[in-house]
Amino acid sequence: MDFNTLVERVVHDTTQVSLWLFAPELVLCVTIVLLLFVRLFNADRFIPTYWMALLGALVSFMFSLTQFYQLRTEVLDSSTFFTGLLVFDQFTAFFRLFLSLFLTFVVALTVLSGIPDEEDGPDFYALLLGSTIGMMLMTSANHLLMLFLAVEMTSVPSYAMVGFLKGRKLSSEAALKYVVYGAGAAGVMLYGLSLIGGLLGTANLPEMADRINMIVSGEAGMSDATVRTLMLAALMVLVGVAFKLSIVPFHFWCPDAFEGASAEVAGFLSVASKGAAFALLVRFCLALIGDPSGASLSNMYVSLGIGIGVIAAVTATFGNLAAYAQTNIKRLLAYSTIAHAGYMLMAVGALLVILNAPADSGINVHTEAIRCIEGLLYYLFVYMFMNLGAFAVVALIRNEIFSEEISDYAGLSQQAPALCICMAIFMFSLTGLPPLGGFFAKLVIFASLFKAGTVHWSMWAILAIGGLNTVFSLFYYIRVLKAMFIAPATEQSKRVAVPTIASAYIITVSVPVVLLGIAIQGLSQTAQDVANVILP
Amino acid sequence: MPTESIGNELALLLGIAWLLPLAGFAVEIFGGFLWPRVSRTAAYIAVACIGIGFLCSFTALMKWGNATDWVVLKGTDSHHASAGEHGGEGHGDEGHGDEGHAEEAAHAEHAEGEESESGVHHDAVATTFSGTMYSLGTFGGLEVTLDWYIDSLTLLMFTMVTLIATCIHVFAIGYMSDELTEDHVDHEVHTADGGHFHRPGRFYKFFSYMSLFCFSMLGLVLAGNIFQVFVFWELVGICSYLLIGFYVERKSASTAANKAFIVNRVGDWGFIIGLMILWTYCGTFRFVGEESTDGHAAKPGLFEMVRGNDGQIDVNEEEDVVYLRDAHGHRLEDPETHEPKTIPYALLIVAGLGVFGGCIGKSAQFPLQTWLPDAMEGPTPVSALVHSATMVAAGVYLAGRFYPVFTPEVLLTIAYIGCITLFLAATIAVVATDIKRVLAYSTISQLGYMMLGIGLGGWAAGLFHLVTHAFFKSLMFLASGSVIVGCHHEQEMPRMGGLRRKMPITAYTMLIGVIAIAGLAIPGTVIAFSGYHSKDAIVATALAHTNLNPGHFLLFIVPLVTAGITAFYMFRLWFYTFAGEPRDQELYDHVHESPWVMTGPLLVLSVFAAGCAIGGEQGFLYSMLSHSEPAGVATGVEAAAVSLPGHDLIHDVHHEAGVMALFAAVSGAIIAYLLYGAHVLNPADIQRHFTGLYTFLVEKWRFDDLYDAMFVRPSRVVAGWCAATDRVVFDGILHGACRAAINISKWDRLFDEGIVDGLVNLVGNVVFGIGRSLRVVQTGRLRQYIMFIAVGVLTLFVLLFAFFPKY
Repeated sequence: MDFNTLVERVVHDTTQVSLWLFAPELVLCVTIVLLLFVRLFNADRFIPTYWMALLGALVSFMFSLTQFYQLRTEVLDSSTFFTGLLVFDQFTAFFRLFLSLFLTFVVALTVLSGIPDEEDGPDFYALLLGSTIGMMLMTSANHLLMLFLAVEMTSVPSYAMVGFLKGRKLSSEAALKYVVYGAGAAGVMLYGLSLIGGLLGTANLPEMADRINMIVSGEAGMSDATVRTLMLAALMVLVGVAFKLSIVPFHFWCPDAFEGASAEVAGFLSVASKGAAFALLVRFCLALIGDPSGASLSNMYVSLGIGIGVIAAVTATFGNLAAYAQTNIKRLLAYSTIAHAGYMLMAVGALLVILNAPADSGINVHTEAIRCIEGLLYYLFVYMFMNLGAFAVVALIRNEIFSEEISDYAGLSQQAPALCICMAIFMFSLTGLPPLGGFFAKLVIFASLFKAGTVHWSMWAILAIGGLNTVFSLFYYIRVLKAMFIAPATEQSKRVAVPTIASAYIITVSVPVVLLGIAIQGLSQTAQDVANVILP
Repeated sequence: MPTESIGNELALLLGIAWLLPLAGFAVEIFGGFLWPRVSRTAAYIAVACIGIGFLCSFTALMKWGNATDWVVLKGTDSHHASAGEHGGEGHGDEGHGDEGHAEEAAHAEHAEGEESESGVHHDAVATTFSGTMYSLGTFGGLEVTLDWYIDSLTLLMFTMVTLIATCIHVFAIGYMSDELTEDHVDHEVHTADGGHFHRPGRFYKFFSYMSLFCFSMLGLVLAGNIFQVFVFWELVGICSYLLIGFYVERKSASTAANKAFIVNRVGDWGFIIGLMILWTYCGTFRFVGEESTDGHAAKPGLFEMVRGNDGQIDVNEEEDVVYLRDAHGHRLEDPETHEPKTIPYALLIVAGLGVFGGCIGKSAQFPLQTWLPDAMEGPTPVSALVHSATMVAAGVYLAGRFYPVFTPEVLLTIAYIGCITLFLAATIAVVATDIKRVLAYSTISQLGYMMLGIGLGGWAAGLFHLVTHAFFKSLMFLASGSVIVGCHHEQEMPRMGGLRRKMPITAYTMLIGVIAIAGLAIPGTVIAFSGYHSKDAIVATALAHTNLNPGHFLLFIVPLVTAGITAFYMFRLWFYTFAGEPRDQELYDHVHESPWVMTGPLLVLSVFAAGCAIGGEQGFLYSMLSHSEPAGVATGVEAAAVSLPGHDLIHDVHHEAGVMALFAAVSGAIIAYLLYGAHVLNPADIQRHFTGLYTFLVEKWRFDDLYDAMFVRPSRVVAGWCAATDRVVFDGILHGACRAAINISKWDRLFDEGIVDGLVNLVGNVVFGIGRSLRVVQTGRLRQYIMFIAVGVLTLFVLLFAFFPKY
């Protein structure tokens, strides 16, 4: 094969196949370029940049929707593209849909809340869109290199966004902490990636499982130092992901960064980067396991699943308990975010345990594994609305009272009833009370944990801890509502007049939270189909 | 004659009469926003609604009469002429059986089958109509519908209720006028600072409640299935609650409202049990069946199922079950197994007693009579409308309407309950001094008469008394309201006296009511007020019943004696209030006759109180009523246990009973005159001689104390226990959990701040401690964070190796 044919093939692959499959990301790229050009030619005086960003996000969403629909109607097939660096399947499409929808909501929120100001608009939206592209790449990464690049592409704009409130010392400090912490985590991850690549001789995710099996089935078996090193390397990659997910003990950046960043950015980071990181985690874990085979490795992976489950339980407990003492609403929500990452991580632990269940365990591995992923996806989708809603309320109230202290919310329900009632919906959904979306999402995850308990009892313990945590979390969520609804307004409290359009936005966000708790069939079925595609 | 359309026409007219007050309510309830407090608009709307309702009802009555060629009146005449027996139109094919004159006018009533949607008939004039207005939904085998059922009883009740309600609404415009203010002072409510309670007037609210009540009451009468009756039954209950508690700031009023509501719940509990039994075995709530358009596959209603079409219960003596039957009198079969459908006889009794339990509560019968006297806390027009003329009579109405489902045992129970009630209440009325309470006890007593009449098989006699009583009792209540207004809200009779000179219209209209309820008449002439006829009918039934069943002689003696007591206490009231010399001169000086808006309704009602029953058992009212009599009542029942007298037996003793009742009434009236009018005897002396009895009666037979000891106090004790359990155990658990959560989180914080941070600080200080220039920029915490990446990764490494498979 000579060089020309190679080039021709690449060109053909790129132009005929990959570019269409890459359309949502491309749209965002084009939008970024346009934003920068507009800035360059001072045209942003005439065209508000947020309209361009909103349009870009919407078009990207439309493309994602089209592709998702085409996949489900089998007009398009799952495939890899860009010479196998990225993979395109329903899982990818689902997360692109998720991310672009969320991006649209966030941009709309920034329009309403007025952060960033007009001067900084192009920069901010370029960062926001760039970060989203990175997240989309994370969900479709099929190669170790892409994995790392995607994570970094997500992280670097995030650092800048956290520090975007330039005037505030707290903000800059938070950004710096985030950068340094992220750099540390990235270092560990990169080390792990290079070890895996070097030991397995491939960086393609789908080939990893076979190579590992080859090594294990070799002469030295499990006692081979290579296997241990491999496991260490996998662990280091997981640490990198754990940083993005703010899993204990890699969560320290989270409260500081959220407190320093504006509520809009915090809302974006808390949902989008978590969603993408979970997609990456599921892909990586499934690639590591491959088609379950070999009893020795199965035991290994069950232990890994239990380990993840234990860490998840610790994370949820830590997040909930630490949230108690908070007086700042964003710090409180940051710890709540940590706790929710814990709940969702439980589903991944259960997934690993169930996939590697011994043949005599008597459970339908495929069905139950689907349920684990369904729970995760459902949770993420509900979480998108309820967490964004909570942060949006924080942002809108901040615009009115210039404070993010819970105690300053006293008596707010008298002046902004729509906002406060929606906040109550978000809080109750975050707690997981029926009939809201958060309840059903938790229910599915707990159900999969229960099934995983039949494989190994420790999952039941994790389930119990998860249940207890749900109870604990109620108390601090209620505290916010108590301030809003019960505490009388103080003398100094300012007049609040939330614009109608802002209230309408919040109500719009709260509607899916309620609907997803009542009409569960559609999303649940979609999530099952998506899960069915990526499982071996 | 297009009988199909006449049913629909009647339903439309009565439907308008029924729904207009609801529309009125929907507007009036917002009166506080719509009109100023001093505006009478709400009252005018309410009067207009109920007045038009009366016109509609009356038109419907006339239409019905014309459509049936007044077959009722003709039929009655011929019956009485021949054998004094009245063959009533029944539910279903009327089986006149052995009656020789079946070919007479009654032949025209030989209605073929029960009417369907609009009364489909083949060869005769329909007099009963039923149909479905709206289907609310189907739940399993149960179809919940809004049905209508119109016969002469429905029409009479509609006309009576709307007429009385119109009068009372007009009266209330005057009575409630002190509410027409921004600042109403309630002199009965004392505030902590010694003053009186001030509030905005609630004129519009009163009329909106009254409109809602009228809607509910008319809905109850129009209802075509027992479930619908129950719904409106509860609606009138809530209206009664709202109206009794109209002066909600008065402790006595709010307590009375609660008492009325709670006591009624006891009865309704029985009602629901009855409904459940009937639904389980009969599978329908409808009174009469529904015929599909092609005439087949008729679904029979409750009445046909239990009584068939000949008015007899089809009992299987061996298995103690009752066969359910279809509209043609055939036994119903299970479509799959072809086993006959049955209901255990005992359960049919329980169902009847249960439904009657509801009637006991609503009509304040023994042992649930205690709420009605307290209900007098409401404004007087409410007492007149809700608590004498209509709502409390709804219990009697239902007992009459549901008569076909009652077994002989249940009927006997009804009779005895009525008998106990009428005596008990009458004795208390003798010693009561509050003018409204005398009337309240009198109401209970008269309701007892009605129940007695129905229980003894005098179906038409009981309902006859219902209608006449409604007129004269509402008249007397309104008159007492006029007195109360005239005396500036003084209700104690010992402070009145001689008022007839100051308020003549009130006094003499009241006298008409008193004569009517006492049942006075001039023997041998037609001069007799309504109460004479109706009470006479009941006493005659009782006498005929006693002749048949000598064992139950009390059922005749007690009402006879009570007729005397009734005359006594009613004349006592009149003499006390209106005759003699003023006892409280200061009060007397300020008394004035009420304005026309109040005395006008009194005059109208007094005409009806005197003359509505004119003609007695040959008159219009009784003929109309007995036309709706269930099948089998007219002929009577011969049974080993308790026989029920037929019309002929009753007629035989009618004259005898009339003389006895009149004698009793006249004696009572004379004694009252001697004691309170002529002062021949001093009532106080008699009181002294019978101190024990007097106290016992004043304390209302100690029922309130008894219930207090039996139910209220025990339930308070149990409630106390529950509260204590709640406080100690459940709150303890909850507080404990909260405290634990707080402690754990405190501990966690200590751990986080003390040990974790401390450890990190220690490690950080040792490892990175000195000479790092970043310290200037950093708070020191970032270093810990980075440190924790390292520590975390290392810990995970250690854990991984610890759990790594060793082979």
